Amino acid sequence: MGKNIVRGYYDESYPPIPTSGTRFWRRNLLWQAWRFIVLNIKIMRIVVGGHS
Amino acid sequence: MAKIVVLGAGISGHTAAAFIKKKLGKKHEVVVVSPGAYYQWIPSNIWVGVGKMKIDQVRFKLQPVYDRWKIDFRQAKATAVYPEGDQSMTRPYIAIEYTNETRRGETDKVDYDYLVNATGPKLNFEATEGLGPNKFTHSVCSCDHAVATWEALQICFTRMEKGEKLRFLIGTGHPTATCQGAAFEYALNVAYEIKSRGLLHMADITWISNEYELGDFGMGGAFIKRGGYVTPTKVFSESIFAEYGIRWIKRAGVTKVEEGMAHYETLDGQMHSEPFDFAMLIPAFAGVGLKAFDKTGEDITPKLFAPSGFMKVDADYSGKAFEDWLVEDWPSVYQNPAYANIFATGIAFAPPHQISKPMKSTNGTLITPAPPRTGMPSGVTGKIVALNIVNQIKTGKTGFKHEASMGKMGAACVVSAGFSLFRGNAATMTVFPIVPDWQRFPEWGRDINYTVGEAGLAGHWIKLFLHYMFIHKAKGYPFWWLLPE
Repeated sequence: MGKNIVRGYYDESYPPIPTSGTRFWRRNLLWQAWRFIVLNIKIMRIVVGGHS
Repeated sequence: MAKIVVLGAGISGHTAAAFIKKKLGKKHEVVVVSPGAYYQWIPSNIWVGVGKMKIDQVRFKLQPVYDRWKIDFRQAKATAVYPEGDQSMTRPYIAIEYTNETRRGETDKVDYDYLVNATGPKLNFEATEGLGPNKFTHSVCSCDHAVATWEALQICFTRMEKGEKLRFLIGTGHPTATCQGAAFEYALNVAYEIKSRGLLHMADITWISNEYELGDFGMGGAFIKRGGYVTPTKVFSESIFAEYGIRWIKRAGVTKVEEGMAHYETLDGQMHSEPFDFAMLIPAFAGVGLKAFDKTGEDITPKLFAPSGFMKVDADYSGKAFEDWLVEDWPSVYQNPAYANIFATGIAFAPPHQISKPMKSTNGTLITPAPPRTGMPSGVTGKIVALNIVNQIKTGKTGFKHEASMGKMGAACVVSAGFSLFRGNAATMTVFPIVPDWQRFPEWGRDINYTVGEAGLAGHWIKLFLHYMFIHKAKGYPFWWLLPE
């Protein structure tokens, strides 16, 4: 096996990978508490608006 | 007094029975027929399958709840529908066979004024040779399956700890299987658990799916706003898999499984084999196999049911070409076209066609996910059918006050990707509507403001919150009826 670890030429190489900053915000309690509220509101509006 | 029979006590049937009884009260009779003694909150089976919840955290016995609600519960499986009655009974009825210990095998007839078919699917493991818990693969489709799967997974952890490198194969086990979301969730949870034990270097995790692209989920994928762009869910899903170290095989229909080997066909007509040490593959779904007879005893099953075994409702079954599909093809009141007092909700209704574009391999094999109807659509359809029946009984009118088409309702799918209150993760996905409406939303097929894909700890909290909220609701605890579907 060669020494070069080439990131490419297979499917898993091409999607975006979260940076350390993105991973930090994903677990930041204050930011995630805000996202919890926002996502719940979106889900509620979908639920309520989806049927009569 | 009206008598309403509900077949099935899953998310849809239980919801329907609960609302019918609450709205009609003691004056009318509600009967629930279900072969199992338990209600299961199926979305949390994933956590049972990775050992994060015990089986009794995701299920509870139905009898005490129905006793409290004054619902007549028959632990039995329905075998046939007689919508016109027969020589022995003039009223329409359901033939049932008891499954509880005291009356196992006994048959009975339950007459009705209204019938709600909410049986859910038959897990059609037989459609793929070698697939299923008693054969070569595992499942998380029921809580019993999930318990057995967790036991098998623990053995894998032990083997890896001893230095053995293992191959995990997770995904769909049939060319037309659906419920990709559950398999997706299980793959992420397995990866998370392996990583948390420091064993990721000992595992080769592979996702296998009949989706044309990842993120299709049987609903043709979706577009979401992300990082300043509108991107397909393909990018979102691939990104999560890449992050978790999972490689993928797409456009693949698993046709046969042997010990340690899954055989599959891809859309280009090539046949391949993928070795595994542990596999969790979702089976195809089919109707539960109910038969129907008219009053002379003639078999009228095709009049009530589609060839798949799911019940026909107010959908367009004309077999249109993909390019001609409209949201209006989808049912809105879930009434059987042949018998006005029969309804089918949740997974039990026959969809008019797929949501994803049907794709055939060069050998003619259909490799396309069936449309998903689990979770939120199951609860919503169960509720609106219940409210319409109640309205008809109370007013004596035959119209429908409530409608809920999958072309007009949204859905949220919270894909757990690691169980921890502070270090957990989940992908929260919402789509509005479920079936893309290219007339109403010509640019993206859906409302881009309510179609969301986001990973983070908040998603895990939402998933946990939904678990406790829906268990509370299903148990009929205080103010259960205020909790939305």
